[in-house]
Amino acid sequence: MNSCTGCLSRNTCQSADKPMEDYIRQLPLETAHHRVEGQSTKCGFGLQGVCCRLCANGPCRVTPEAPKGICGANADTIVARNFLRAVAAGSGCYIHVVENTARQLKNTGLHKDKIRSEKALNHLAELLGVTGTDKYDLCVKVADAVLSDLYRPEYEPMELVEKLAYAPRVKRWKELGIMPGGAKGEVFCNVVKTSTNLSSDPVEMLISCLRLGISTGLYGLQLTNLLNDVVLGDPEIRSAPVGMNVIDPDYINILITGHQHSLFTYIQDRLLEEDVVAKAKAAGAKGFKLVGCTCVGQDLQLRGAHYTEIFDGHAGNNYISEAVLSCGAIDAVLSEFNCTLPGIEPICEELKIKQICLDVVAKKANADLIPFDYETRQADGDRIIDEVIGAYKARRGNVPMNLFTSHGNRNTLTGVSEGSLKAFLGGSWKPLIDLIVSGKIKGLAGVVGCSSVAYGHDTLTAALTKELIARDILVLTAGCSSGGLENIGLMTPEAADLAGPNLKAVCKQLGVPPVLNFGPCLAIGRLEIVATEIARELGVDLPQLPLVISAAQWLEEQALADGAFALALGLPLHLGVPPFITGSSLVTKVLTEDMTGLTGGRVIIDPDGKSAADKLEAVIEEKRKALNI
Amino acid sequence: MKRIFIDPTKCDGCKNCSLACMEAHRQDGGTGIYTLDLQDPSNQSRNRILTDGKGGYNPIFCRHCDIPDCAGACMSGALQKNMDNGLVEYDAEKCAACYMCVMSCRYGVPAISPDRKRVIKCDFCAHLEEGPACVRACPKKAIEVREV
Amino acid sequence: MERFVIIGAGAAGIRAAQTLRKFRPEDLITVISIDDTVHSRCMLHKYLGHERDAQGISFVEADFFEKNDITHIAGEKVTKIDTGLKMVYYGEQYSAPYDKLLIAAGSGFFIPPIPHFREAPNVFGFRDFSDALKIDEAFLKGKRVFIVGSGLVGLDAASALCERGAQITIAEMAPRVMPLQTDDYAASIYQKAFEAHGCKFLLGVGATDAVVDEKGNITEVILATGEHIPCDFIIMAAGVRPRIEIAQNSGIAAERAIQVDDHLRTSAPDVYAAGDCTGLSGVWPDAAAQGEAAAENMAGIDTVYEKPYPFKNTSNFFGVTMLSVGRLDLTEGAEILIHRTPKEYKKAIIKDGKLTGYLSLGDISNSGLYLHLIKNGIDVSGKTDKIFRLSFSDFYGINEKNGEYAYSVS
Repeated sequence: MNSCTGCLSRNTCQSADKPMEDYIRQLPLETAHHRVEGQSTKCGFGLQGVCCRLCANGPCRVTPEAPKGICGANADTIVARNFLRAVAAGSGCYIHVVENTARQLKNTGLHKDKIRSEKALNHLAELLGVTGTDKYDLCVKVADAVLSDLYRPEYEPMELVEKLAYAPRVKRWKELGIMPGGAKGEVFCNVVKTSTNLSSDPVEMLISCLRLGISTGLYGLQLTNLLNDVVLGDPEIRSAPVGMNVIDPDYINILITGHQHSLFTYIQDRLLEEDVVAKAKAAGAKGFKLVGCTCVGQDLQLRGAHYTEIFDGHAGNNYISEAVLSCGAIDAVLSEFNCTLPGIEPICEELKIKQICLDVVAKKANADLIPFDYETRQADGDRIIDEVIGAYKARRGNVPMNLFTSHGNRNTLTGVSEGSLKAFLGGSWKPLIDLIVSGKIKGLAGVVGCSSVAYGHDTLTAALTKELIARDILVLTAGCSSGGLENIGLMTPEAADLAGPNLKAVCKQLGVPPVLNFGPCLAIGRLEIVATEIARELGVDLPQLPLVISAAQWLEEQALADGAFALALGLPLHLGVPPFITGSSLVTKVLTEDMTGLTGGRVIIDPDGKSAADKLEAVIEEKRKALNI
Repeated sequence: MKRIFIDPTKCDGCKNCSLACMEAHRQDGGTGIYTLDLQDPSNQSRNRILTDGKGGYNPIFCRHCDIPDCAGACMSGALQKNMDNGLVEYDAEKCAACYMCVMSCRYGVPAISPDRKRVIKCDFCAHLEEGPACVRACPKKAIEVREV
Repeated sequence: MERFVIIGAGAAGIRAAQTLRKFRPEDLITVISIDDTVHSRCMLHKYLGHERDAQGISFVEADFFEKNDITHIAGEKVTKIDTGLKMVYYGEQYSAPYDKLLIAAGSGFFIPPIPHFREAPNVFGFRDFSDALKIDEAFLKGKRVFIVGSGLVGLDAASALCERGAQITIAEMAPRVMPLQTDDYAASIYQKAFEAHGCKFLLGVGATDAVVDEKGNITEVILATGEHIPCDFIIMAAGVRPRIEIAQNSGIAAERAIQVDDHLRTSAPDVYAAGDCTGLSGVWPDAAAQGEAAAENMAGIDTVYEKPYPFKNTSNFFGVTMLSVGRLDLTEGAEILIHRTPKEYKKAIIKDGKLTGYLSLGDISNSGLYLHLIKNGIDVSGKTDKIFRLSFSDFYGINEKNGEYAYSVS
């Protein structure tokens, strides 16, 4: 660790969360916020997506003097290939998550383990057209139906697509020839396509992105949520604390990062058992607490009603994790997937925080790897618990505390899902539809995806959200955008005051904030279920809805796969920065213009909150007009 | 006068200086790297990063020489050494595109425009208060402005 | 206070005036020129083509003389110098005393001894601004132009007039256009470009006689083949001769050109010469460099002028650009390398490990170093495999003191 304080006095990036910005600036440890400045010079070829290093002749970069790579690939091919690679990798991530989730459900059924929501199970079985002899058998059958689709070859269509997707969309997808084959096979096939001197057809590659988007969205997103609900419980709307104030130093605190709630199924219950609590007490703590961070923290928060005892609350999104660890009261990090920044490693080292990874795909360099295995979960769980207790004993009293108890708030509305929201509305979407038709709610905007820092931490997400609600557009969030927005209070009922007059009145009447938190990025799938159900009730197709999606601060390849799903659904998709495509006028045109004719969706790029909101509002107005509302 | 000093040992060949130069001199009215057309010959960079044949790079930047061959060869008065600021300044209006300057620069700096009507040469980003865009874009500080 | 007088306001004369003013901020400087205005003869075609006005082809600011406190005696021809009295005579009765004098009178066009050509009033040169004015006037009466010579001057005139709708015939004694700067292939590219703009070439043919009207104007040129080419006027571009009349009239040593030593001093004390009239080189950069060197010596700064390397030129007609340096004609015992693509043509002549000639047609960007390599005889053996891609990177060096580049040559 760098102990030269002179080096740490450098600038940190701006954050939408000003108290957090101040906290991070004074930290004696380096965070991503500190590293932004040093990385402020970006490679222009990279930004435009015209750097190709697919072969040893490269890297080739497109310039006026050298418009083609050595192989002859032009900017269109290079850009499309890079883009498809990213979408395929992003899809692979979500497909990995749904695969593990389905396996967890299957094991739960096989071992007749705890099922928290039979309602969710029955709903899912009905949706997929699966029957079973009892609830455990049903778990196995549902999981098998999902797994067998995932494992199909890419040339064999997945069977659940038509059951999960909205019929008018399926019709369009069939017309476009983008019904996906086996989800893993799709990733495989498209990675092949983008390898050295394989496909050079930019349009075909962009169409393939849509196919990947569909498998990612229906399986990686929607099904992951629904499968998890069975084992981990249905989301329930409630008020919860958020921010760094959730951390209670009297407990042994475990920060959780990643995307696979299912891998915590065992341990989160085990930590509450008497013998384990006794161990904690013997070590001098009151017990164990899980502190939420990144999307898996959002998942726990979403289902927090079932975990009030063990779950302290959500501290912050991916780019807060380093700050959270710096507070001194975190004793271990349990991680299982991405958004676990390598930047936490030296901080853990310095503050003696134990790092344990539950999935080899997210193995951190200086962490122990104890991969989750259903068969050995008990022994592994105890080992993890002992390691964490060991860390607690070794570090407490020996590392400085830098708590930030004033951070965040204690009344963020959480637990919103397609199910809980509908129940909140009285079991029907009609009240929401009426509000939209009457114009009290002008439209819906899904502000989703990640948090990034290169151009400010959550700054665009927050600015855009504030602009949208001020225009009476109800914002629904999913992903790390949720973490940022909740910490700055936009999901508290008081935030209604920031909304436009109509939306404000609605919020006040219902006692809800103008920004509804659906939780993790996986819950983008939930948003899309909401949209589909509203469309079905109105008897229109998705592109006709006054609904826009913004992944304003998209960060990762996963976000691009999500984005491809939004495009396949025919939704307008706003991005703050271009996904490394502008070096190809063809790719840029297809994504930002021609896509409308293909699926009805399109990419809108705008780095400014206000002007982006202007554009999204215009889209909503246009759609309202077409619907005569 | 100021000059861009070069430390070729620090250059990684990223060409950020070239892109910054292209951006600083683009004529299409746009701003920002994302809209900079990297295939448009009229956006060519005034600086060049060449390999040294040994795994390193040799940045080629106009030196605004104390005794400039290019201005000495100019028969239109378009290229002139400004004794106040030390720059070899170029006036495209006056230029007759004879390309004597191209021939005369022993370091091979001036380039000819795609329309064959102008010369492409460093202007030290005279239109930018912050000074040369290339220098600010260099992540390795291989180029820096120094007083001479 | 010294009195400096400069004869001529071309590349050498003006550069000398600038240099003198730089080193002698207080002294008297006078420039005497035949033309009323300063103009760049290399841009004369832009005036003739009506692309630019008179100020547009000047290579100095309109207020150059005022700003630099230089007396400009315009539109006056120097007739004689009294090197004993140190006096320059010009016009009918005027004189100017000097302490140091520079003759930068340039060169004039040459008319070969073809019957009628030297006397005919419709035979023009294309050197001075006055020539352009005369051609412009003649062009009002007739658009059939006969140009003798297809060197840079002839082609400059042709390119200017063909844009204005002239019917141009160019006669060239050599078998190709621009014979001094091109080879056959490069010449054919230019020939096609001019032909596409309506020019006709007669190659390997000379004019031998002419038909004249009652006023002595040539109406038809008679070729060696006996063919008659009707025309309204003629532009002579078959070569130039240093202007030495002033020197000859004043007892200053001059044969083909005014003789100068390595300080650009003439045979007369305190009289210097620079530019075309010295016969050292015919290109602008060298004339300017001589003006500068002579002026430095006149100002008392001892400056040795190294012999220029005159074999160099660039051309740009209809967007076809060419760089031609060294001796393309001397190929005996040399290795000739050629690179040809639809857009480019390059030729390198290498002798004893050194470049002796280099021709580049197409994008000539960044090719200035070839002149340096040829002029200085820099060894390129071991680099011949990339002879067309040489750059300063191959000779990279930095002067640590001032940050300029310096050639590193092994």
